[in-house]
Amino acid sequence: MQDGASKSCERVTGGGEAAWVGPPITGSWGHLPGHPPGPPTRPSPARAMAAENSKQFWKRSAKLPGSIQPVYGAQHPPLDPRLTKNFIKERSKVNAVPLKNKKASSFHEFARNTSDAWDIGDDEEEDFSSPSFQTLNSKVALATAAQVLENHSKLRVKPERSQSTTSDAPASYKVIKSSSDAQLSRNASDTCLRNPLHKQQSLPLRPIIPLVARISDQNASGAPPMTVREKTRLEKFRQLLSSHNTDLDELRKCSWPGVPREVRPVTWRLLSGYLPANTERRKLTLQRKREEYFGFIEQYYDSRNEEHHQDTYRQIHIDIPRTNPLIPLFQQPLVQEIFERILFIWAIRHPASGYVQGINDLVTPFFVVFLSEYVEEDVENFDVTNLSQDVLRSIEADSFWCMSKLLDGIQDNYTFAQPGIQKKVQALEELVSRIDEQVHNHFRRYEVEYLQFAFRWMNNLLMRELPLRCTIRLWDTYQSEPEGFSHFHLYVCAAFLIKWRKEILEEEDFQLRGFSPSTARRAFNRLIPFHALLPREKPPALVSMGRWNPKAHHTWRQQGARGTCTRVS
Amino acid sequence: MAKQYDVLFRLLLIGDSGVGKTCLLCRFTDNEFHSSHISTIGVDFKMKTIEVDGIKVRIQIWDTAGQERYQTITKQYYRRAQGIFLVYDISSERSYQHIMKWVSDVDEYAPEGVQKILIGNKADEEQKRQVGREQGQQLAKEYGMDFYETSACTNLNIKESFTRLTELVLQAHRKELEGLRTRASNELALAELEEDEGKPEGPANSSKACWC
Repeated sequence: MQDGASKSCERVTGGGEAAWVGPPITGSWGHLPGHPPGPPTRPSPARAMAAENSKQFWKRSAKLPGSIQPVYGAQHPPLDPRLTKNFIKERSKVNAVPLKNKKASSFHEFARNTSDAWDIGDDEEEDFSSPSFQTLNSKVALATAAQVLENHSKLRVKPERSQSTTSDAPASYKVIKSSSDAQLSRNASDTCLRNPLHKQQSLPLRPIIPLVARISDQNASGAPPMTVREKTRLEKFRQLLSSHNTDLDELRKCSWPGVPREVRPVTWRLLSGYLPANTERRKLTLQRKREEYFGFIEQYYDSRNEEHHQDTYRQIHIDIPRTNPLIPLFQQPLVQEIFERILFIWAIRHPASGYVQGINDLVTPFFVVFLSEYVEEDVENFDVTNLSQDVLRSIEADSFWCMSKLLDGIQDNYTFAQPGIQKKVQALEELVSRIDEQVHNHFRRYEVEYLQFAFRWMNNLLMRELPLRCTIRLWDTYQSEPEGFSHFHLYVCAAFLIKWRKEILEEEDFQLRGFSPSTARRAFNRLIPFHALLPREKPPALVSMGRWNPKAHHTWRQQGARGTCTRVS
Repeated sequence: MAKQYDVLFRLLLIGDSGVGKTCLLCRFTDNEFHSSHISTIGVDFKMKTIEVDGIKVRIQIWDTAGQERYQTITKQYYRRAQGIFLVYDISSERSYQHIMKWVSDVDEYAPEGVQKILIGNKADEEQKRQVGREQGQQLAKEYGMDFYETSACTNLNIKESFTRLTELVLQAHRKELEGLRTRASNELALAELEEDEGKPEGPANSSKACWC
């Protein structure tokens, strides 16, 4: 794992100013505790130039697909800005020369050097002096890694954690699993119809982990206690949120690597632009917006049965029971009514797009997050009749407004001919053709069209491919990125493809087996170590995420990986 | 790896949202039925090989989203289909009325000579029936199509209708088919050779005949 850290460090410095490019996901989610603490955002000049660069980004003529930005995983929130600054300085010093001389694009370098970041090592306890660590040939990497480790060790509470981490996580994981298991098997035996749902291939095979209850609440009973780092982070969030005028830039910075569960609802309201930064105005705003929403309901909802809205309402009505059909929460009549109202009001207020299938999915993260404010555990099985009318109304109105804000940024995905999606799928194709020509050519050779599998990735923001809790975590980041749901999402999709490049390249007979969205989804469900997407949740599991995995690396080298591997001498 | 099929066809499922297109497909390819379902977004597909008349036919079945907004996407798949299922729900008069619209879309976007078949799904929902069987038959006759009432839930006429459409497509391509029969054994050997060398030459060689 130390390897992963140093590799990432080596790569992240690219050229500090270009727009985001390909690998942030691998680079940030596959991380380990050893990674430098630091903000996910680039230096401020970078921000200023990002817009400009993003315009040029798609031009093929660009020699590099874009420079790699410092990307920090959820494990590594900004702690001490000075530390970060020094660290970046140091890295750029060390790397400036070698990077310039590199022929290959910085992306390929990055990809190569982080290709095993997702591998889960077999050993839970591999120490820093293990031989595999020493196989790194790069002095730079060693120096960087040492620095990282030193920094990290300062920030970490060693004594209790080192041993307990390994035992805690699997244990808590088991607890979660078993409770969910029980739920699932109860459902299975309750109704014969439910049972085959698990096998159904066109439905995502949900991992047996509750949605949000455990996303990061380490202090819930049975879960491991919060680390000092996590406490510090939470404290930082609380500080930001309670200051007279919340510094939104800072909040975005902090949120990029994941928002602690405790403060997620209010953070999301702020990030989406629903709540004002000024604390004094918040209460009033909330009150006003909630009233406004219920004003809409009063004014328009009865029109759902009128001729001109019939199609819209019918479609929503058909789709609501088909929204997360495996999660009991969404099968409750009260919840379904809430969804119908939210979607109908949004649809008739946005006639250019109206309601389009898939938009129903986009309400769920908001609903679940705002609901989690009132529910300690097991949100997916929570009976909403336990909540007061007022609380439910607040959740409904807030979900509506936040979803509206989200959709404002991607409305062209849903207007006639869905130009937003078409453009994004094209952009994805273009991007992949440059950052991974092999995969791109493979698709072309076997006549696999990007539209075939990527249409839904864009239309549903990967929600059909990921479990809800991962989507929620992903949206922490999307909401802290400018145009996260449109622009940044594209890179996440590209990162997914490249993550599965090996499986894709091994597939030669697409005609026989097909590479449908379902195939892709199954592959994701089977192979993605989902906890990788939620680094804060299970630190011990994460420890293995970026772990040096000699076997995987060996295999990777055996495959030739485009013929060159500069990592190991 | 020996070739597992002789010909490859593309079939397409179209019809209003919620008539059960995905359920028909799941029943046919996986013999599964699920009452609660997620909606299809854009286009999805499944594959299955069936043997008709001694020929191993690999069918790729494209399942489309029924909502109108998706039609820009779904229409792109019409022109590549050799056979099309037009599906309505017997418990929805409206979905039956819309068959006319679906047929005109097919006329506009699908290749000439595409084979069509009319399906009235959810035949098990007798109490909710809004469209009589004879109405279905009549409509099918008007358009010169075969007609089946099916139920993905009770597995009624699923295999029959898929096999029938495949037969129709095979018949429509009888000429190419004759050529295939005479060449079949040679090509099989050739395909195996290529794979031994580990150099598949691309999709053209991996399926022996694909009329698209």
